[in-house]
Amino acid sequence: MQTVSRVHSAQSSRLRLLLQFLGSMRLAVSLLVLLAIASIIGTILSQQQPYDNYQLQFGSFWFQVYRELGLYNVYRTLWYTGIVAFLVLSTATCVTRNGPRMLRDMRALPIRQRRAAIRAQEYFFSTDAELSAEGMANRLAALLRQAGFRPRLEREGSEFYVAARKGRFHRLGYFLTHLAIILICAAALYNADIPVKWAEWTGALQPAKNFDLPLSEIPRSAWMPLHNPAYRGIITLPEGQTADAVFELAGAGYLVQPLPFRIHLRSFHVSYYSTGMPRDFVSDVVLYSPSGKVLKSGIIRVNHPMSYDGVEIYQSSFSDGGSLLHLQSYVLGMPALQPGQLTGRVGQTLQAGGSGYSVQLKNFSLYNVMPRTAVGDKPDPKNPMVNLGPSYTYVVHDPQGGAAEFKTYFSPISRNGQGYFVQGYRQALGDPYHYVYLPIGPNGGISLFLNYLAALQVAARGGAQASPAVFQQIFAMLAARVAPNMSTAEQDRFVQASLNALAQMRDYPAPFILHLQSFDHRWAAGLQVTKWPGTVPIYWGCVALVLGIFILFYLPQRRIWARVVEDREGGSHLELGASADRNKREFAREFAAWERALRTPPGTEDTTLNC
Amino acid sequence: MAKSMESWAEELPAEYRHRTLAEILRKEAAWILGLTAVAVFILVRWGAQFDYWQYVVLASWYVGLLLAGVAWRPLQWATVASVLPALGAVWLYAHGQTAENNFLLHYVLQGVAAAMWMSVLLLLATGAYLLHFFSGREAVGRWATRLTWGGVIFGFIGLGVRWRETYLGHPSWGHIPVSNLWEVFVLFCATTPLFYLYYEKKAQNRSLGAFIMPLVAAAVGFLLWLTLAQHMDRVEPLIPALQSFWMKLHVPMMFVGYANFTIASLIGAAYLLREGSVRRRGILAARLPDADLMDEVMYRAIALGFLFFTVATILGAVWAARAWGGFWSWDPKETWALIVWLNYAGLLHARVVKGWRGRSMAWWSFLSLWVVSFCFLGVNMFLSGLHSYGKL
Ligand code: HEM
Repeated sequence: MQTVSRVHSAQSSRLRLLLQFLGSMRLAVSLLVLLAIASIIGTILSQQQPYDNYQLQFGSFWFQVYRELGLYNVYRTLWYTGIVAFLVLSTATCVTRNGPRMLRDMRALPIRQRRAAIRAQEYFFSTDAELSAEGMANRLAALLRQAGFRPRLEREGSEFYVAARKGRFHRLGYFLTHLAIILICAAALYNADIPVKWAEWTGALQPAKNFDLPLSEIPRSAWMPLHNPAYRGIITLPEGQTADAVFELAGAGYLVQPLPFRIHLRSFHVSYYSTGMPRDFVSDVVLYSPSGKVLKSGIIRVNHPMSYDGVEIYQSSFSDGGSLLHLQSYVLGMPALQPGQLTGRVGQTLQAGGSGYSVQLKNFSLYNVMPRTAVGDKPDPKNPMVNLGPSYTYVVHDPQGGAAEFKTYFSPISRNGQGYFVQGYRQALGDPYHYVYLPIGPNGGISLFLNYLAALQVAARGGAQASPAVFQQIFAMLAARVAPNMSTAEQDRFVQASLNALAQMRDYPAPFILHLQSFDHRWAAGLQVTKWPGTVPIYWGCVALVLGIFILFYLPQRRIWARVVEDREGGSHLELGASADRNKREFAREFAAWERALRTPPGTEDTTLNC
Repeated sequence: MAKSMESWAEELPAEYRHRTLAEILRKEAAWILGLTAVAVFILVRWGAQFDYWQYVVLASWYVGLLLAGVAWRPLQWATVASVLPALGAVWLYAHGQTAENNFLLHYVLQGVAAAMWMSVLLLLATGAYLLHFFSGREAVGRWATRLTWGGVIFGFIGLGVRWRETYLGHPSWGHIPVSNLWEVFVLFCATTPLFYLYYEKKAQNRSLGAFIMPLVAAAVGFLLWLTLAQHMDRVEPLIPALQSFWMKLHVPMMFVGYANFTIASLIGAAYLLREGSVRRRGILAARLPDADLMDEVMYRAIALGFLFFTVATILGAVWAARAWGGFWSWDPKETWALIVWLNYAGLLHARVVKGWRGRSMAWWSFLSLWVVSFCFLGVNMFLSGLHSYGKL
């Protein structure tokens, strides 16, 4: 019997110890600070980048170490969530431990208080007066009333008791703040879709790694359930297309979330300010039921999501949706008689003739209004921005396995009366572009320049010396044939521009130049689709949090107890005790003012108080 | 001989007497009626275009200004002194005047000009506070206070007029001027001294100005650099993510937080220096308020800052939910706001529940300045993220 109960009490005392630890202030303060410090990591290391970037940045050893620690997605690691969970647990323990005491605190104030209890208050004084006990009690009550209290009196024989308080519901502030923290964290946890995270953890769900698969070929193990309570996915939808699933990034792969409706993007539109800055991104969408019924249609803009049946759809990004590009290819060093024709959509890879080179059309962007300096032009304070029209980027892979990236602008730029097409190239991603200014001949296009280039090469092969006079002479011969109307000044300008372009092209990494002839533009909108049932509780939690903090700071509790007894000469003896739980200094001054007033015999004016 | 009960009614000095609602209404009638008239005017004039949230904004400003003005009367005339000139400038703009052809607009009222006046006055005020601190001359101290008021008022005139000016570039550009680093620095330079003036009044001591105003002066220096060297004072349109009603509440509230945290940490510094000086019977010990008072003011500032910072962070999360589709994206700015918030939550618990006072609190509060500044500035300068409005 004895042993059993001892075991029992040992267990319960261990439990008590644990609770004491969990609910201790030291732990709470430590956890708050620890969480703050842990949060810094994710702001120093940019989060959720493709793993390749990290590998490059840290080398393979540290890349592994950091990955094991989860530093690439810190805020979703077990250890970070663990700290938060601990904080919530600690808060919950704290509330349950302090709760009963605080509830008791909010009950009606007992009017009669023992003498020792009055004396034990933080602020206390006692005084003797000639006034009768009843008179003194009334006087005190009147004074408290002036100070904004609602005092209550009670008489017991010849003794009078006075009690008053402000901020009765101060403790409510404690409950509101701390319960709000618990509520907000719980709702956020619900929004984070724990069942799916769990399935992922146990391996029942496996993120797909191949980003190029069409939807129908993505393995079923990467599909989340249709009636998933919470999710947050993205989809890139080209104009005119429809989708019924979104993607959620998970580690180095992704998961597929089927939607209860189909999203059709009718069109996408970007509007611009006169400065060239984007002003608005607008998707015009229709939602269909699986059976094809129209559920809702309308536009989605940044800051103006569309919501349907608890699912919110946001405008989150945009990109090219596979614009059709018609390109001309000129081989460098060959007369530009018949340029080759290439046609393809952004995203496709084209073979450049039979040369073994391939051209991967990477991106197309419709507007490029940018500072002159951004494309290597001289700054012009009066006219700092330049409109270069649409641009497209492509990567050329040579047969040896090398690659270079190019960016070509559609609209020409003019400098001292000579027009140019601007083209950038770079050998490696992340390098700055080198810019080439290709001069435009009198009949438009770059064929004059390319013919000139070819003529120069022929001359060089024929042993001609490189000198300004020779360059001039070769151009004069060419111009006489293909551009007889050019004035000498124009010729000079063109030669100079061509020579500059040649210098800029010294490292040009491809044997041909692609020129955009025309295009058929198509956007794609990046939409984010979320379902967050925890949203409403979070809002209420926030309201409670703010209200609670306000109460804690600005409605402090102040309690006052007094006892007045009659003394033998018909006078009275007053004992007044009070406590305040915030702004003590302010209260101490107030209390001192009461003391001064009550110590002054009635009738004598205390001039110091009335100044 | 014994006084009747009624005659005790005057027993407490006025400052400790509770003001009844009727008394407050009577005493503050001009303020309350004036503010109400303005609110009603706005409702009648523009109410037709209001949506749900604009009522919330109007109501927040109305209630906030009303209560703040009642709690601190000087705010009443300061509000009038900033709003009237700003309205004057709006009127001038409405009548075809511009900064090019109107002397007053060009040199005084135009947003940038007013911000420059603010800068000058705050720099002078800083000098005056330092002079007051070392010379102990009351007259200089009074001038320091007046100059600070002048700077604050010019700051708010500048922001008010600039709000109008954002619409002049092109109507589609219009926005509350808290959208780039220049604008938020004007806000910071105007808000911080304003709250300082409040605590100065509460503490009945001007010596803290010598600690707080130099930081404001540094911020003014940065603002001047942004203006003169970076030309960031140009009005620019807003990127789509910033075109939100929430900005009108989120950013100003954030800066109430920043201002109060800054003040608290500089009081912390003053506290620590004073401690050293007490032993040597130095000038700091003689001039600065006593340790308890500084501790109390520091707590008050942190409490007010924490309340506003909490609301601002929540509004930021709500805004993010609308704009980016998630309450919390762990964007560096958001995360740093959380770090600041957790830091001060830790501080408050240590103080209220563990009863830490004095030295340890002063250190904590002082060191928090670095956390706050990193959140305010460091994130924009060193980290990249979705909050790209403040890029240098
Ligand atoms: C994220 C978590 C938390 C937040 C945001 C928070 C917030 C607050 C705030 C703002 C105050 C008022 C401080 C003041 O008046 O100056 C407070 C007081 C308090 N907190 Fe917390 N708290 C948190 C966690 C905890 C935990 C884990 C505990 C338990 C160990 C705790 C126990 C208390 C207590 C006992 C008070 C004093 C209440 C009173 O005297 O009226 N808090 N809290």
